[in-house]
Amino acid sequence: MSTLTSVPAPTGAAGPARGLRLGGMNWLVWRQHRAAFWTLLAATVAGVLLIAYERTQLMSYLDTQGWPHLKDGWDQHLDTSAMDRISLALGLAPVVIGVFLGAPLLANDLETGTAKLVNTQSSSRVRWLVTKLGITVAVTVLCTTALSLAFGWWWAPLKHLTSGPSWDSSTVFDNTGPVPVALTLFTVVGGVAIGMLLRRTLMAMVVTFGFGVATQIAWAYERMSLGHIQVATSHNGVLADNSFPVLPGSAHMIDQFYLTASGDYIGYGNCHEMTASATNACLDQKHVVGWAVTYLNQSQMPGMQWLGAGILLALTAALAAFILLWGRKRLV
Amino acid sequence: MNGNGAGYGDPGEPGEPGDGTAIAAYGIGKKYRRGWALRDCSFRLPAGRICGLVGPNGAGKTTLLGIAGNLLEPTTGTLRVFGEAPESEGANRRTAFLAQEKPLFRRFTVEETLRLGRELNPGWDQRAAEDIVRAGNVPMAARIGTLSGGQRTRVAFALAFGKRPDLLILDEPMSDLDPLVRHEMMGTLLAEATEHGTTVLMSTHMLSELENVCDYLVVIAEGGLRLAGEVDDLLESHALLTGAHVDGQLPANLAHHTVVETRTSGRQFTALVRPGPDGLDGGAWQAETPNLEELLLGYLRSPQAAPLLTPSARIDDVQAVAA
Repeated sequence: MSTLTSVPAPTGAAGPARGLRLGGMNWLVWRQHRAAFWTLLAATVAGVLLIAYERTQLMSYLDTQGWPHLKDGWDQHLDTSAMDRISLALGLAPVVIGVFLGAPLLANDLETGTAKLVNTQSSSRVRWLVTKLGITVAVTVLCTTALSLAFGWWWAPLKHLTSGPSWDSSTVFDNTGPVPVALTLFTVVGGVAIGMLLRRTLMAMVVTFGFGVATQIAWAYERMSLGHIQVATSHNGVLADNSFPVLPGSAHMIDQFYLTASGDYIGYGNCHEMTASATNACLDQKHVVGWAVTYLNQSQMPGMQWLGAGILLALTAALAAFILLWGRKRLV
Repeated sequence: MNGNGAGYGDPGEPGEPGDGTAIAAYGIGKKYRRGWALRDCSFRLPAGRICGLVGPNGAGKTTLLGIAGNLLEPTTGTLRVFGEAPESEGANRRTAFLAQEKPLFRRFTVEETLRLGRELNPGWDQRAAEDIVRAGNVPMAARIGTLSGGQRTRVAFALAFGKRPDLLILDEPMSDLDPLVRHEMMGTLLAEATEHGTTVLMSTHMLSELENVCDYLVVIAEGGLRLAGEVDDLLESHALLTGAHVDGQLPANLAHHTVVETRTSGRQFTALVRPGPDGLDGGAWQAETPNLEELLLGYLRSPQAAPLLTPSARIDDVQAVAA
């Protein structure tokens, strides 16, 4: 029997050896999903080139304004609408990649029966699942990391300036650092799990779309809860023009309160009276001495991004473990 | 191969590979949400046999094959392939499985489909696989999605044979082939199995396949085992009795035998029986050996008849506990 295994592959089956030569399960997974992988890689290259072009536009404008020592009124003709447009497109990426790469990854094999085909070859089911998830995760990480770095590089000149998208906007916060990588991975691996459970490609894509959108909404709500809330207080009363505390530049303000003599915060909706004297009487009666403002400083941005990404990556790892444990026993 | 292989009873005929047992099922059952598809199924398939698995639609054939092919886990009981669990690497490597719908990647070319076999199977035989494809004039560069149903089945066969399995599991392999191709594929199957001592377990609805190809038979109905054993032994242990009945009254001494099924037409009755210890003499009937069709139809029509397993198909209870 063993002598038969050494029969050399006839000519024509070898294929051209270009670049990295894949073998075994890696070859199968790449071959099966190569259209999706190449599309993703090509879109990434196009996105990075577009961002690079836009950055040169931004830099040439800044150079005319005396960068790095900008003149007064430098931002009068600053146009960062391209940044918002591209960030909008990048914001769709997790959902699009989740729907078109994650959801069909296992659902299509389960629906068409090719899962049976692969799992009756000599390699184990865990190997198949690990390879499928591994290559998909690797390509996703590669592409989203490249786009995240490019976008961060584009935004970097504006980082400490007062114009352009601020750090706490979704434009910047969601498209730089580890955030786009983690959001995309979570949506993609979630899509794989949904596809594994539903076993129908189209239904899995629809449900993954809902899952991706829900993830984005939840992220948008929770994004600014990731920081340590800081408080700035003032003790000049609340009615004078300069009574408001001065926040550090580009701080993200969360809420504002009246500060009382005992140090408590009460809502600034208190004491909305018809007359100034009634208002003053009310403020005196409640012992309001100034403002308390809660905010997040820009220096918190990387910490918040990594905390949020860490939570998403932990959830992604849990989903991947679930896929392996469930798929090992009940798949096919 | 584990050490207790020799304990399975009949070691098989000399010259057969392995320990003589391809499949041993110990009380396997499978429950789906709808109910039991397979219940308490125990039998042994000796190595080197070409075994037909027969039963009505929904009898549990695909479930049984799926358990042997490591696509399903039994709810109860255990099954061993060459003495190993179906999910073990050894059993996986020695078993090839061809599912009923013959799934293939539609966007792969024929060549890429064979490469799949080569990449995933250490014992891959490219020449055997290519020969099967070439015999049907299937172009190697064609995409699977553009092939006809018969051509696709041929490629699926090539993938299964190229693995050089010791156990080949086929789920209704010939159902979508024209008679000519079916005949040729059956010839390939037989030649392959005889040359390499491959054990074949195939479910089928076609009597001609059973009669011409199979030397072993497993019949299941309503999720339970009805018959298992060598085709010749099974036939010889039954008799088809024909005689006259009086107003629907069958001869009283028919009760000395195990009656599988009786039918009356006109003044005649026919009965499929397993002869009792005293033999068939003395009854008002003519006895003859049934053919395969009569035997199968009798058992499929009478699910209440007691199951029959020939000695080589029986699982020793002691072994069942040990496993």
